Amino acid sequence: MTAPISVRELCKTFFDEGRGEIQAVNSISFECHEGEVFGLLGANGAGKTTTLRMLSTIIAPTSGSAAVLGHDVVTDPEGVRRNLGFYSASTALYPRLTARETIEFFAQINQYPPGSVTDRVNCLIERFGITKYADSRVDRLSSGMKQKVSIARTVAHDPRIIIFDEPTVGLDVLNALEVQDSIRQLRTEGKTIIFSTHIMSEAEKLCDRIAIIHGGRILACDTLANLRTSTGEHYLEDIFVHFVKDPRNRK
Amino acid sequence: MNWSVFRLLYVHEMRMLVRARRTIVLAVLLPALVMPLMLLASKYSNDQRAQTLADTTYKFAIMGPLSVRVRGLIEKTGSQHSTSVRPFKFTEILTNDPAKALETGDIQFYIRTQTGEEADNLPGIPKERLKGVPLVTVVYRGNQDVSNNGRGRIVELLELARQSDTELALAQHGFAADTQQLFVISSTNLATGGQVTGLTVGRFITAILVMLMFTGGSVAALDIIAGEKERGTLETLLTTAAGRSEIVAAKQFAISSVALAITLIQALNFFVYIKLKVINLPEGFRLELSSSMALTLLLLFAPLAITLGSILLMLSAYAKSYKEAHLYFFPVYLLGLLLSLTSLLPGVPLRSAIAIVPIANVSVAAREILVGRPDLPMILLTFLVMVGVASWLMRTARQMLSREDIILPAHAEPAEFIGGRALFGKRVLRWFALMWAIEFAAAANVPQLASLQRQIVFNEVFLMLGASILMIRIYKLDLRETLSLRAVKPVVWLAIICAIPTANSAAVAVFRLANIFIPVSEELLRSTSESIIPPGIPQWQLFVFLAVLPALCEEIAFRGMLLSGLRHRLRPVTLAITIGLVFGMFHMTLFRIAPTAVLGVVLTAIALMTGSIFPGMLLHMGNNAWGVWAGLHDFDPDTMGPWQFAAMLAIFALSMWIIYRNRVRPGMSHTRS
Repeated sequence: MTAPISVRELCKTFFDEGRGEIQAVNSISFECHEGEVFGLLGANGAGKTTTLRMLSTIIAPTSGSAAVLGHDVVTDPEGVRRNLGFYSASTALYPRLTARETIEFFAQINQYPPGSVTDRVNCLIERFGITKYADSRVDRLSSGMKQKVSIARTVAHDPRIIIFDEPTVGLDVLNALEVQDSIRQLRTEGKTIIFSTHIMSEAEKLCDRIAIIHGGRILACDTLANLRTSTGEHYLEDIFVHFVKDPRNRK
Repeated sequence: MNWSVFRLLYVHEMRMLVRARRTIVLAVLLPALVMPLMLLASKYSNDQRAQTLADTTYKFAIMGPLSVRVRGLIEKTGSQHSTSVRPFKFTEILTNDPAKALETGDIQFYIRTQTGEEADNLPGIPKERLKGVPLVTVVYRGNQDVSNNGRGRIVELLELARQSDTELALAQHGFAADTQQLFVISSTNLATGGQVTGLTVGRFITAILVMLMFTGGSVAALDIIAGEKERGTLETLLTTAAGRSEIVAAKQFAISSVALAITLIQALNFFVYIKLKVINLPEGFRLELSSSMALTLLLLFAPLAITLGSILLMLSAYAKSYKEAHLYFFPVYLLGLLLSLTSLLPGVPLRSAIAIVPIANVSVAAREILVGRPDLPMILLTFLVMVGVASWLMRTARQMLSREDIILPAHAEPAEFIGGRALFGKRVLRWFALMWAIEFAAAANVPQLASLQRQIVFNEVFLMLGASILMIRIYKLDLRETLSLRAVKPVVWLAIICAIPTANSAAVAVFRLANIFIPVSEELLRSTSESIIPPGIPQWQLFVFLAVLPALCEEIAFRGMLLSGLRHRLRPVTLAITIGLVFGMFHMTLFRIAPTAVLGVVLTAIALMTGSIFPGMLLHMGNNAWGVWAGLHDFDPDTMGPWQFAAMLAIFALSMWIIYRNRVRPGMSHTRS
């Protein structure tokens, strides 16, 4: 069976005014299996967000290829986006829409069957516990509430693939736990999830497989158990340091 | 285009805009409420001022030897013309020092009279005054409203008094006293009231529309991408299944809708003000607008609205933040407004090059339609130009939303860092724009360039060759590759030699065609011809300065540098047309642009087909030399018969075909390099 997400030797080069040419992503390859939470674990600037932006077709790869459910990110970007929910700290909500209107808008724009939009919106409102403030404007909601609306809008069109790019950045412990619960719930529904984070404990708790990314390259990609075996380390933090400090993995 | 997604996005954009309460208040409600209040306040203030000034009794003094005579004339004229002059109450104050009285405010002005002899000795007296004529001067204080107003009224009265005095003098010397009977001044206006009104409205309608649509559209535009970028909602939108085309189209349509809505609201306000008599229309104002005129105007204004909407959208996309978008808005707005004011320029008809200048063409077309003299073929051309521009701008706006440096402003363009050829490709058009500006400014402002030789040396050697050398050095370009310094097959040389005399005939044909749109007077042709081939220059110099130097330097600049810079950015046909147009633009005179642009297209096509700069150089040199020879021997191509003309064109086409058949295909070379 074809993997829902397939990435082959993907590269992205940026040109930064201060630093010149930057190889943000350097020939990375991986596959995500159906129904798993695939973790991209890396420090800030490791290339996680750039990889996920290429997967969600916001930016184009410099070279290599990637496909989501068989849709190529370069040749069929709209096909990719129809099947994808993308959530990141930088994807904000429209402040002048209500929570209900937000979910409805994203369901419609992502071409969810028109006749079922209202049911879907009501279902998500109930599921994420936002009934009380469903008709309040987003700019009047608290950060925690906004987070829930954001996740609801990400899954509004019931996509098979969901990308979470550092979803708990800036959240307090309780709100972060709620996001983690939502991800677990989505996994039980059979969604394929890519979850990027720099927080080791989150990756340990949520991910079925973890790819350690550093300097734009994937240094290791396996289940947590296998990573422990291969490195002889128990904690993910130590495993991460093991790979990053390995002289063979330095550029 | 997915229309359901487009409709959804459009409704979404409009909903977001309508919910921006501050924007609605500032852009719609406030002007609607404040404008009539301001106009009413202004009208009230003016009425009050006029009433106050009318009620004022002006105090003045008269001094000098003619005081008695002037005083009598004022009193007599004031009573005789009480109905024809503005209301004016005045009283004379007797004072020994009128200047001091004016200074202290005891009087508003004083009248100083001087005899002819006294006046003759005064410095700076009015030029129109004849020697020996007495002088009456009104002394007042211009910084005081009452004094200024009083001066205006007493001068008006003195003018009438002088006329009465002249009549009296004529009667005393036995002439017919009534000057009104000597001749009658009248004027006859052949234009109808509707045409006069049409001219007034036509001059300003495009400018007003551009102003309202720019300011109205900016309310939506600046927020629609720049604001979304700042809030982070643009990235959210770009991760949805909506295509970039639908996003751009919906945003563009939202901008145009808001601009149109605000324009209509302001127009409605305007009519309300007229009804309330807050604004008074000029006397005899009568707009005659038939349905066909209205439809034609609508056809021109529709692409204009899309053009303005696209400009605003691109501006918003280019800016990294809402604040930056505001910074860019003002110069763009001024430029748009400037173009829309072209209709105010006297003697600029639509049947000229103005028809291809966006916005300016609509401005002139609207004026011609409203005065009842529509030039239908040119209006059609204007419409096509505007549709073309609007489509191109929409396409460019869509492409902008695909550019990473636009979506993610932290990242700069790769070319900026790679430098060299990649950066040269991005900058080459800027270089040519600068070169054009220098050539234009120098030709008009540097008197040292008045002679042909100096001008050619400056343009060709200093500007074309100098800039080319600079570009090669700055971008570290490979000389042979950039300038296409390659040998070609002998048969190509043969074809070029055949093309030399016949290319001139082709240029003449194009010139005749261009003359239909941009008619050129015989006088202008002769003076231009004399300026190109001035008398008194040795023939060998004419060939060097007009044929050899331009061929060498211009081919290096245009078919070398410009072609090399744009080669990877444009397809061959677009490339040839673009370079041809730029080449034409450098031949400043309006009617020379079309034929030289065609020659530029031909030379670029030859450079592309042969992969070498040399054949074009020879054709350019030969063509110019042929022109010089024809000028020196008074050879007029118009004397050629149609068969001769057809034969020339056939030979030219055959030459081009030979070159095409022997073209260099990508990746192969026919000859040694």
